[in-house]
Amino acid sequence: MAGKVRVGFYSLTGCAGDLLSILNIEDRLLEIFEKVELVEFVMASSNVKPGGVDIAFVEGSVTTEKDLKALKEIRAKCDRLVALGDCAVWGGVQASLTGLDPRELMKSVYGTEQNLYGFLGEHKPLSEVVKVDLELPGCPIEQEEFIKAFVSLLRGDLPEVKDYPVCIECKIREVPCLVVEKGEACLGPITVGGCKARCPYHGVPCIGCRGPIKDEANVAGELLMLMEKGWKPLDAINRMKLFAARYKDLAKLVGRG
Amino acid sequence: MAENPCLPKLARIVDIVEMTPIEKLFRLEFVDEEDAKAFNFKPGQFVEVSVFGVGEAPISICKSPTRPGPLEILVRRVGRVTNALHRLKPGDLVGLRGPYGNGFPMERMKGFDILLVAGGLGMAPLRSVLQYAIDRRDEYGEAILLYGVRSYQEALFKERVIELIEKPEAARFKTFLAYERDDPVFDKLREKHPENVRKGVVTVLFECADPYIKPEKMCAVICGPPIMYRFVLKELVKRNFKPDRIYMTLERRMKCGIGKCGHCVVGGATSIKYVCKDGPVFTYSDVLSTRGLV
Amino acid sequence: MRIVKLPKERFSELFEALKSWGEVHAPVKVGRFYSFKRVESLGEFTLSYTRTMIPPKKYFVKPFEDILKVHVEKGYEPIVEESKRIVLLGVHACDINALRILDGVYMDEIPDHYYASRRSNSMIVGVSCEPDEYCFCKSVGADYAWTGFDLFLHDIGDSYLIRVGGSKGESIVAELTGVVEEPTSIDYVKLRDYELKRSRMFRRSLNASYLPEVVDSLYGSELWAKYSDKCLGCGSCNLVCPTCRCYDVTESLDLNMVEGVRSRRWDSCFLRSHALVAGGLNFRPTRLDRFKHRYNCKSSIDQRTGMLFCVGCGRCTVFCPAGIDHLEVLNSIWGLR
Repeated sequence: MAGKVRVGFYSLTGCAGDLLSILNIEDRLLEIFEKVELVEFVMASSNVKPGGVDIAFVEGSVTTEKDLKALKEIRAKCDRLVALGDCAVWGGVQASLTGLDPRELMKSVYGTEQNLYGFLGEHKPLSEVVKVDLELPGCPIEQEEFIKAFVSLLRGDLPEVKDYPVCIECKIREVPCLVVEKGEACLGPITVGGCKARCPYHGVPCIGCRGPIKDEANVAGELLMLMEKGWKPLDAINRMKLFAARYKDLAKLVGRG
Repeated sequence: MAENPCLPKLARIVDIVEMTPIEKLFRLEFVDEEDAKAFNFKPGQFVEVSVFGVGEAPISICKSPTRPGPLEILVRRVGRVTNALHRLKPGDLVGLRGPYGNGFPMERMKGFDILLVAGGLGMAPLRSVLQYAIDRRDEYGEAILLYGVRSYQEALFKERVIELIEKPEAARFKTFLAYERDDPVFDKLREKHPENVRKGVVTVLFECADPYIKPEKMCAVICGPPIMYRFVLKELVKRNFKPDRIYMTLERRMKCGIGKCGHCVVGGATSIKYVCKDGPVFTYSDVLSTRGLV
Repeated sequence: MRIVKLPKERFSELFEALKSWGEVHAPVKVGRFYSFKRVESLGEFTLSYTRTMIPPKKYFVKPFEDILKVHVEKGYEPIVEESKRIVLLGVHACDINALRILDGVYMDEIPDHYYASRRSNSMIVGVSCEPDEYCFCKSVGADYAWTGFDLFLHDIGDSYLIRVGGSKGESIVAELTGVVEEPTSIDYVKLRDYELKRSRMFRRSLNASYLPEVVDSLYGSELWAKYSDKCLGCGSCNLVCPTCRCYDVTESLDLNMVEGVRSRRWDSCFLRSHALVAGGLNFRPTRLDRFKHRYNCKSSIDQRTGMLFCVGCGRCTVFCPAGIDHLEVLNSIWGLR
């Protein structure tokens, strides 16, 4: 191999929790980074090298003009672009504000309608702006999933995309179903698995932090199910909107009121 | 207990031939001679090929058991495993399981003429049938090959196909070629041999081949992209081919290759079949009795 | 088949004999339902239960397991687990019949090593049960186990009548000399009365004759969509089904990029990738396609046992978060109700 794979880690609008999750893989961090030439990872090192990268890992949503410019530059200088975390994959919790008047939002937070920081008016996932090669969902990402994807990418492959919901992992771990047994507003059926059903395992219903299963999640069915369990439609929709506001079928449901 | 069927055997890539920008022919040899001896296959069977650390994919065997030498598979770079396979070099090792599937009923086809209809990559398993029939010429009647490709660039074994059309007397079977995109080489070939070469999809060739098609003493063997089957079957039915003398090999998602993992299951409640085990070769009679086969 | 009688007050002696054969796993209450778990003492489990969420198949086709080790240069080697004997105590007839179906699939002419070795190291102890409002095993002929067990306990009040299914069962009974008795004719009357009573308890039924033909023929019915619209495609019905057996295979390398594993995981025909081939063609692209596929698969006949692939355990209905009722779907497609 001619030199090490050049890798960069970048942050757009978000809490930086995905990159922090990577730094938190403390016991294996050196093992991860000795395999690559680290071009940029500002949270870890102020040493930023010039030039392009083979793999760019990007967290955060495209919220500001600065994000937009940065993302386009990253895309132009990388071979493979990986969206890290729910903000980069679905626009994040902030995207649940989709549809609201940006001036009103500005006013309610900053007391002025003036656009203080080049807000684009909505919070977009990376894939709505540039071509994305791989999406690793989660709020934050799963460390184990990141490592597997990282290894796969270094070898020139792409990891398999998870197409199964949290329910599959609940059944595999024999977690009693919170919907069936308790009528809880669990979003497991529409949410992509990979978390090993961490919340249901601890008796907490899934809030959908890994985002809906792309092109598959039946949000209308989930809404109907929650209504049959006695949930108010608005509450159910708001629950789904938290992490899936930009999922097209949910947007349609919201549009219908 | 018998050996673990999930465990791939080691095979070495002895040679790689680039056929098209997206397809390569791999020649493989088992590392262990015992494995090689135990590997007896029929035309139309497939193997599960593993790339270490990436995974496994089902691939048709592309040569006849009548030919000595390494096993041949023709692989299109289309998914994770096949992309990884394309990155390998001669000398590299892969995993092999198989052979799996029923294969073409070469015994039942004895004494019959054979009409082969191949579309694109469908040439790979049919090459195995063709070689077999040629090598056991006494046991089979005439052979006719209808080959449809999208473009010159995507045509497989094109030098051989061109040679077969240019020098029919040297060939022991009739060859017809259909292509969709303009191309100087194929255009020239078509001008010289208008009765053998046509523009269009593979079904346009039936008209050219009709003088040689004798359904009463002929078996048809089809392989191509899923969309192709219905159109080819229509042509064969029109010509009164017997449903149980029309054979086709089908593609489905497969993980195990041995009727366990369930991905390749087809059919309605009265006709459930495993493509990996009950197929991949099916007759038109199967198509008529199995929902959703083509 | 030999029948012996075990007074209930001496059940602990059977339990001890089973424990000395292997690890005993029995239904333990978890949440509102039950789960087969390892038990050490009588107080930990019950033999009078409705259904476990996850059927006994989990002991033979594991929900998730690493099957091979891989080395990027050397290739594959099998992961051999330490073989241990397991007694499944308290298996219902429907689940025993489901295991017979799985046996046919996993131990056919090319047997699955992992399944076959676990199966040969297992003992199945059945127990008679009473149907609840979801059971319809009687309709599909799976309410009684003719075979497929080592011991089968029939509750006749103060005792169990035990059918002894094979050499493993015989070895246990041999240890209980002096504990088990020869049944009397009165015991058989009790058994008959119990069976008659049980037979009358079924509240749900499915017209199983013609079912394959009807489900196949009515493939085009518009009613399917009414249910598939509601379906969340979550795959729960598959994972809790005692005869669903699809598995997916994945492979990954460790961070050292040299060694890794090939694993398999219970799969569901409701997931996008189930019928997806490389290149992007999906043979069952919509939830409606997958919904109909599942109902067709479950309504087909297993050629080896001659049984319907659905054993009427009711799990898919009970554990469907969307509340889709398997029987209601089939009955409505058939034009009933």
